[in-house]
Parts: sequence; C-alpha cells; structure tokens
Amino acid sequence: MRFQLNFRRMAWVSLALLAVAPPQARAADEWPTRDITFYVPYAPGGSTDPISRKYSELLEKQLKVKVIVENKPGASATIGTGAVIRAQPDGYTIGLGSTSSLAYQPLEMKGLVWKSASDYQSIVKLSDLPAILAVPADARWKTFEEFVAEAKEKPRKLKVSVSGLRSANDINIQQLNKLSGARIVTVPFTGGGGESTLAALGGRVDGTCGYAPGMKGQIDAGKLRVLAVFQQGKYDLIPDAKPIGETPWKETFPVGYYVIAPNGLPKPVLDKLMAASKTIVESDEFKSFLKANGYTWDPKLGDDMKKELEAYDGKFRAILKFLDDDK
Amino acid sequence: MNSLQGLLYGLSIAATPSNLLAAFVGAFAGTAIGVLPGLGPVAGVALILPLTFSLDPTAGLIMMAGIFYGSMYGGSTTAILLNIPGESASVVTAIDGYQLAKKGRAGATLTIVAVGSFVGGTLAVIGVMMFSSLLAKVAILFGPAEFFALTAGGLIVMSRISGGTLASALLPMTLGLMLGTIGQEAVTGETRFTFGLPDLAEGVSLVPVVVGLYGFAELMLLVEDRAHAANRPESVKMRDLLPTRTEWKRAVPSWLRGTFLGFLFGLVPGPAATLASFASYRLEKAASKHGSEIGSGAIEGVAGPEAANNSAATASLVPLLALGIPFTPIAALMISAMLVQGIQPGPLLITQHPEIFWGLIASAYIGNVMLLALNIPMVGVWVSLLRIPHYLFIPLLLVLSVIGTYSVRNSIFDVWVLLAAGIVGYAFNKMKFQLAPLVVGLILGPNIEKHFREALFLSQGDPWIYVESPIAVGVWLLVAAILIAGFIARRRAAFADAMAQESSL
Repeated sequence: MRFQLNFRRMAWVSLALLAVAPPQARAADEWPTRDITFYVPYAPGGSTDPISRKYSELLEKQLKVKVIVENKPGASATIGTGAVIRAQPDGYTIGLGSTSSLAYQPLEMKGLVWKSASDYQSIVKLSDLPAILAVPADARWKTFEEFVAEAKEKPRKLKVSVSGLRSANDINIQQLNKLSGARIVTVPFTGGGGESTLAALGGRVDGTCGYAPGMKGQIDAGKLRVLAVFQQGKYDLIPDAKPIGETPWKETFPVGYYVIAPNGLPKPVLDKLMAASKTIVESDEFKSFLKANGYTWDPKLGDDMKKELEAYDGKFRAILKFLDDDK
Repeated sequence: MNSLQGLLYGLSIAATPSNLLAAFVGAFAGTAIGVLPGLGPVAGVALILPLTFSLDPTAGLIMMAGIFYGSMYGGSTTAILLNIPGESASVVTAIDGYQLAKKGRAGATLTIVAVGSFVGGTLAVIGVMMFSSLLAKVAILFGPAEFFALTAGGLIVMSRISGGTLASALLPMTLGLMLGTIGQEAVTGETRFTFGLPDLAEGVSLVPVVVGLYGFAELMLLVEDRAHAANRPESVKMRDLLPTRTEWKRAVPSWLRGTFLGFLFGLVPGPAATLASFASYRLEKAASKHGSEIGSGAIEGVAGPEAANNSAATASLVPLLALGIPFTPIAALMISAMLVQGIQPGPLLITQHPEIFWGLIASAYIGNVMLLALNIPMVGVWVSLLRIPHYLFIPLLLVLSVIGTYSVRNSIFDVWVLLAAGIVGYAFNKMKFQLAPLVVGLILGPNIEKHFREALFLSQGDPWIYVESPIAVGVWLLVAAILIAGFIARRRAAFADAMAQESSL
C-alpha cells in the first residue's frame, strides 16, 4: 500500500511541477546540464582533429560541462556531418563542418540531408586553412610569376600534385587555370597529402599544392620552395609566400572550418552557445593556437558564417562548370 | 652528435621516471589492446591521442610508440591460442601458430614470438638509429609505378601463401579483391557498389573482416566441437612453456630473415607491418630448411612473420622522423600529436628537437626490453586461459570481438560486417578454402588500384610508365624469378614423387 501512496504523491508533485513551468523551456534555460558531444566527421590525425579538440576544450571551460569529441569519419566527411544535422536540436550534439562537407559535397553527392546553409544552424567559423604552392628546391622557378608564365607558354606540361581529385588544393589550381589562362595539370594522390608532397620531393611532378603544416618540415629544411599561398593577405606561417590576393587572379578556396548544430535549437540554447563561441574565437589562447598551427583567423558568427557558405555554393558551381567545359 | 652519443643522450631522457612510466603504461596498454580481438595498434593509438595532449611532447610520443609496439606483441597471442588474429599483421601467425598450439606447443610458440618480436624490434631500432637520414631517401625513390610493381607483384607471389590447391587460394583472393572495390575509389572519391548506403562509402574495413573470418568462424567451430570441449588441456607444465633446443635453433634464422625483410617494408609507404608479415611467411616457405612443414605447424612460420612485423613497425619511424611524412595511420596520429605540441617533424627534427628523436629511439630500446619482461611471464597466464570452460569463454570472446570491432570507428555497421565475415569464414573452413588469400586481396586490391591510377594520372595516360624506372623493372624481374623457381621446385617434387612411387611398385 505504501508503494501506491508514494506513487500517488509523485504524480501530484510532477503535476505541480508541470503547472509551474513547461519542462522543455526549463531544460533550455538550464542548458547545459549534461555532457555535450562534438562530432568530428574526420579521423584523428590531420588538420581537423586538433582544432576541434581546442574548441571543445575552451567550450568546456565556458559552459562548465564536459564536451566529448567523437570522430565519425567517412564518405568525404558526410557521415559525421549528417549525424550532427539529423541530431535532436537540444544543444547536446554539435559538430565540425568544413567548406568541403557543407558546401561542396551537396553539389556532388545525392541524397544528403543538407542542400544549402539553410538546412543546419550556423554557429561559428573557427578558421581558414590556406593551400600553398611549393616546388622542389632545385626547380628552375624562383617566383610564382615564372611558374605561371611557363604554364601559360606550354599548356598541359607542368604537373602539380594535389591530395585527391577535386580536393580544395585541386580546386585552387583549377581556379588559377580558369582565371590566368594557364593550363597546369593536377596529379591527384591519396594518403592525406603525404604522398603528394613525396611526389614533389622525388621530382615526379613539377610542384605540389597542399597545406603548410604537413610540409613545413621540408620547407624549413630547404627541400621545398614555397611560391604562393592561396589566400588574400600575408600568411603568418610562411611570410615569404606570395599571396594570390596580390596577383591578378585573386579568387581562392581556403578550407574553412565551422561549428554547426541541427536546425531548431531553442533560443536560450542558441544564444548561450553563440556567446560562448564568440568568447572562444576572440580569446588570445585560441588565436595563438591558430597562428602556431598555420590556420588563418577569420571569425564569423551565425548569419555571417551562413552568408559565407552560401557564397561558396556559387563559387563551387562556377568552377565545376569551368571544369566540365574545359574537358 | 654521432649515433652513440645520441643514444646516450636519448637514454638520459627516456630513463627519467616520468618517461619510463609513459613507456611502461604504453607497453602495458598496448599489449592489452593487442590481445583484445579487433582492437589493433591504430585504434589503440587513436584512443590515447587526446591523453597525450596533456603530457609533455616526449612522454606523449613515447607512450604512443609503446602502445604501437605493445599491440604488435599482443596481437599474436590470440592468433596462436585461438586462431583469432588480434590485428591484421597477425593473420599469418594464426596459420602455423594455431596448429602448434593444438599440438600442445602454445607456450613455446608464445615464447618464440615474444623473443622474435624483441629481436625484430631491437635490430630495427639499431637500423633506424644508424641509417635514418640515409634511408629516408629510399621513400623518395618510390613513386606510383614502383608501388604498383611492388603491390601487384606481391599479390601474384602471395597467391599461394597458405598452401593448398591453387583454386582454394584464388577464389578467396578474388573475393578479397572484389570486396576491396566497394566504397569510395581512392583517387576521385567516386563511390562504387554502395547501394546508397553511406556506411559502405568508406569501404569494407579490414578489422571486422579479419576478426570475423578467423575469430567468429573459429568460435562457431568451437561450439560444434563437443569432443574438444570435454577434453581441455589439464594443466600447463613449465616444460611445455619453454621452447626446446631444436625450436630455438630453427627460430633464429627465421627471426633474422624476418627482421631484414620487415625493415625494408617499413621504409616505404603502405601497410608495412601487415605486408611484411605476409611476405616473411612466403619467404620462410621458400628459404627455410623446413619450408615444406609450414602450414601444418612449423615454428618458422611464426618466428619469421612476428620478427618481420615488429621490425617493420619500428622501421616505419624512419619516414616519419626523417621526412615528416606519415605513411601509416599510426604515423599520421604521431605527427598529429607532434603538431599539436608545436613540434614540426621533418629533416630538421633531429637538430631542432634532439630530445624527441633520440628520446624516441632510446625509449624503443627500453620499450622492447619492457615488453619482453612483460610478455614472457604472461605466457603461462595466456596458456591457462585455454582452460576456461567453453560456455564462459566463447560468449566472453564474442562480446569482446564485438566491442573491439565497434570501437575502431564507432560504427554498428562494422559489427554486421563482422557477423557476415564470420559466416563466410565458417563456410570457407568447411569447404577447405584458404582464408589468408582473402585478406591479402582485401589489403592489396585497393593499393594496387590506387597506384595503378596514380601512375596513369602522372604519365597522362601513357602505360609505359609502369616499366620506365629501374626499380619497377627490378621488382617485376624478381616476381618472375620467384614464380619460375616455384614452378621448377613443384615439378621436381612431382617428379621425385613419381619416381618414389615407381620404385615402390
């Protein structure tokens, strides 16, 4: 009988609670009360994992709950990205997105749950990672201009290794081809940029387009010479590299890293997450982490980030059309 | 700084209490991870990666390296005792190791493996230490055409890796090659045979296939085998734990051959440890005096591959440290750990961060000694595991395999692959097909295709690229020589057989 009594009392208590405040709103106001999961749609190792862990570490300090980083790689990062977008919009599942997974893959892959930046909640842009063009130290080109001049003069003769067909590196070279009229041949390699760098060191290709963090060791040792960096301004990590923004062929495709959440976050949750993210990206600790690792600081919150991704959609469509026509 | 000074300097770093602890924790955790079916070196290092961010860089890398070596040691334990390779580099160890265990030589075999791993690991560290900067150039000599020769030639040579008839090897190998085509094609990212399933886009991963084919299938066979269940090994005598004098004698040349072969494989990109163990097994068949016994429980078939995979694992530090270019997933994780700490791997590492380079080298010596000390006393414990009643043991292993497989990439799909591979493995066992060629096909298939395509991209469609370089031609000639030698040997054996039959008539 005691059991029954207790049960009745519990029912009354919960009814009373319901009357005071609807549970959902309460949960949103108190967010976060438990661990948050941060999906990284890439495997550990590479440029995506460290930046995710740094953001999560700083978010932990801001929100005072644990932020668990979970790697969910596969299918060009679309598996992990889809997992975030399809998650319950309660603020306990967020994740990393990139220009490739958010803007490029929807153009190439059918059946993704996101077609545009309206299909997920933009939180914050963490950084850009620019591509660089490097040649072996004993190559005859001393400057970027010399390289492009020869590529124009002898179309489809100069070869540049890239990490994968239609990777951001490849797209940068193709964009240069499109704007400058040069015809540099891209040779796609796999294996996370390592084999692509190796091909340049072994003299199998004339140059390589990749990311500075993986090539820095060879650059410092004088085995590779950096001709250009595919971004608008000076690159802190390699100040000698010519920014493409200072050439006549300005448009570039850096890899941007973003934090996303599913659409429909309750307003208090979204506000709190945005405020915490703003503090993080503007903190000195985050900035010096970016600088040391070759990322470029370019914070954009919420709608600014959404606008950037929408613009990428158009840019990707244009370069894909050029590649189709140029076959 | 010459090598000896460097090593002494390294020892002074590696022998600090905190770094020794890091090496011990790494070696211990690695052994445990390696013993669990499904959890291999990559998963182990990936699990530990976040932890290393809070350690100082040297200690973090030493711990990662410890896990790496430790899991190479541990992976062979279940292969020998239960025919369940803990990771792909132990697949060939299972073939002869399990036969030896059935003959009651489990303890001796485990001892041979532990010592062989020690020999392979230690000799390879010496090689890395002496020739690191010189050997770094080897990797640069290899481009797509050379790798195509190496992998495609390797496939041809290894088609008869585990004996049996040609048909019983070719069919599983073809199946392995076919499975390898599922998912995103390496160069363009185009998806094939995925039936719209996003999980298949990554392809069929190796771990669930290996654990399923061997492990699940073996468990099903164990359930069937009522006679064996009633007749467990009673107790293990000390005498059975130690190899006999003949076993020691037979193991030594195999260790040395395996170490040398493994070292070469470690220098070039690709799944070095796994390929080295397969190649060493093949080499033992050809080079050992007892080659004909391999497949039915010969100590050489275990000693060679185990020395080879440890040697390869260590040698793969060369491209990592000297070039700063990762060739294996583990190397990529280690580079990631260095970059987070603000250390740039590459040709300048040895001068800019001698404490990392020499500390890692010295800790490899210490780690190998530690692993030997850790593993030899454990042999008795592992062997007595066989005495656990089957009704407890089989469910336990089943659960462990599922957990291990799931945790590699947090994918429930991989668990289904594990189950399917188990059924295939069981059926193949019943029909007397070989399993190792399937694994070879699955590993080499995607690599062959990738290098084939990269070479054509590089030459802009000109097929002559495959035979333009002296290295590629050399590899192809070697493949031809091995095939011809094998053919002649078989003809001779057949001839001798016929003669023997004739004379007995």
